[in-house]
Amino acid sequence: MIAFITNWLADAPTTAVPYALAALGLIISERSGVLNLTAEGLMLVGALTGVGTCLTLDGYPVVALIAAMAAASCVSLLFAGLVVVLRVNQVIAGLSTVFFCQGLTGLIGTLANWQNKHIEGLPRLDLWPLSDIPVIGRIFFMQDAIVYLTIVIFILVNWWLSSTMMGLRIRSVGESPAAADAAGISVALHRVLAIALGSSLIGLAGGYISVVNVKLWVTGMTGGRGWIAVALVVFARWAPWPALWGALLFGCIEAVIPHIAAAGIRVPQYLMMMTPYLATIAVMIWVGATQRVGGSEPGALGQPHVREERR
Amino acid sequence: MSQSSRSRFVLDVRQSLPGWKQSLFLAASLVVGLAISVAILWAAGIDPIELAGELAGVFNGDSLRGVLVQAAPLMLVGLAASLAFRIGFWNLGLEGQMVFGGIFAGGVSIYEIGPPETRIFLMAVAAAIGGAMWCLVAGLLKIRFRVNEIIATLLLNYVAVYFLFDLLYGAWQDAKTAFPQSTPFQPFERLHDLGDGVNAGLLVAIIVILAAGWLIHFSRVGFYMRFVNANPNMAKVLGVPVRAVTLWTVVISGACAGLAGFVNVASQEGRLTESYADGYVFSGVLIAFLSRNDPIIVAVVGFLIAVLFITGQTLQVFYQIPFTMVQLIEAIIVMSVASSEFFIRHRIRWIR
Repeated sequence: MIAFITNWLADAPTTAVPYALAALGLIISERSGVLNLTAEGLMLVGALTGVGTCLTLDGYPVVALIAAMAAASCVSLLFAGLVVVLRVNQVIAGLSTVFFCQGLTGLIGTLANWQNKHIEGLPRLDLWPLSDIPVIGRIFFMQDAIVYLTIVIFILVNWWLSSTMMGLRIRSVGESPAAADAAGISVALHRVLAIALGSSLIGLAGGYISVVNVKLWVTGMTGGRGWIAVALVVFARWAPWPALWGALLFGCIEAVIPHIAAAGIRVPQYLMMMTPYLATIAVMIWVGATQRVGGSEPGALGQPHVREERR
Repeated sequence: MSQSSRSRFVLDVRQSLPGWKQSLFLAASLVVGLAISVAILWAAGIDPIELAGELAGVFNGDSLRGVLVQAAPLMLVGLAASLAFRIGFWNLGLEGQMVFGGIFAGGVSIYEIGPPETRIFLMAVAAAIGGAMWCLVAGLLKIRFRVNEIIATLLLNYVAVYFLFDLLYGAWQDAKTAFPQSTPFQPFERLHDLGDGVNAGLLVAIIVILAAGWLIHFSRVGFYMRFVNANPNMAKVLGVPVRAVTLWTVVISGACAGLAGFVNVASQEGRLTESYADGYVFSGVLIAFLSRNDPIIVAVVGFLIAVLFITGQTLQVFYQIPFTMVQLIEAIIVMSVASSEFFIRHRIRWIR
């Protein structure tokens, strides 16, 4: 039993990291007032770029992850152009970006022949002597570097959003673009910046799935994790730390699935695979039943800012 | 848009634009979108001239028959999306609803419910109920718990697909093959061609579209739907049964998607497979978006997207271009048409 729990919880951070990073990326962009549904697509872009870089350079997983961040950021500029410059409906723009990315990654992955090619990936760290502590060592001190980096990223982003000039400006643009505009803050610039920065984290989340976790590329491999991240943002009330706890919760739920099968417990495989999605819906129900209407969402979420139409 | 420099771009909001100019902008955006798509295909190794040849080939003989078969489920999902969008309900669960439509229809076939003469009708009704039920889940979650329907419907797609997998790899797997598919339907459980190569599925789609057209343009419910979309609070104050209109629209939308699943399994596949609902979510959104949620235009756009689907299948077979290309082109078209709205509503001036 101890072995089961240790194995399970030791895997949980690995499954939680993509949720955490994607949700954090979405939080940055939604704090600037842009309703962002693009995570599922941008994660695929990150995942494909990561594997593609690894296959092309024959290794270098760290470079691959940086490339994944850059690629997702670049593609997100398309979304930014649609919603910030052309003021397209943010739901339509987000959805088309997701399906654009699904189509593009499927196309490139097949044409470049990156499908199902195994790569080396990133090893788990061995933090001797901490890793040798029974149970705790396995869970906390035998993870890969990105798991620890994720915590650092959360500390940095939380500080950046709450205590720096740039972070405050991004939030003011999300709460009341008209007021921010009157104060001389460029709404468009800060929104584009927030989308691009947030999307780099979403790209890292995707790259992590393919380069570190699965270690190969399969078309559509993110399997709805981006949508779960969108739900996680609502659950976290647009605040970084709750998003991390929520991600850990989902990481634990997803990580238990293979271990139940491995433990020899007979459960229908495909019904088990529904659990992350059903758990997300359950969490959304809980949020809806307990939170006030619009209690904590950014004031201007989903509204394009048109200076010429200001009231 | 910097204020300091003397010469700059200025954005004006247009008061109005004549209809023909709006159509011009729309047509221009379609041309731009298609040009980008052709350029991407060119980069992927398909000469535009060959592409034109393939596209022309779609309109004769067997291919055209294929397009008409493919058009029926696309029209039905497009209709499902447009009905829900009319009341501001983002039904993105079209795939899940198609899956349950197929499962319910398949269940009627597998458990041999009802006499053979009426079996096909029972299957259609069951499919509509299956789709409606799956959509109603999201509708109730939204009304009762304020769960965002975008997330709920998308997640329910994955749940539905895994439920289908559970059946196809388990209880409903055809014992004669090792593939994840159900036993083939009996001949009387399938939609056949009506004379000139026009499949009965298309007839189903057109009947449903005409009924929906009547519902939206001539019935009281259609009027209520416009009211609920424009201002739900006002509608409630004036005595419109907002909750009932919302739920019934959700149910009808889901039923249409369920019927699309039925048409797909009963005309094209003839059995339940893993992939009979693949790629229909965004097609539905695209058709609804381009047709501005009007059922009659849905039929036209649905036909055009069917042409795109069949061309995509041809490219897949002869040029090894993955079918996700279709999704890419759909996304590019939606992006460019959505962008045209900006130029219809704004005028850009250069001030010296």
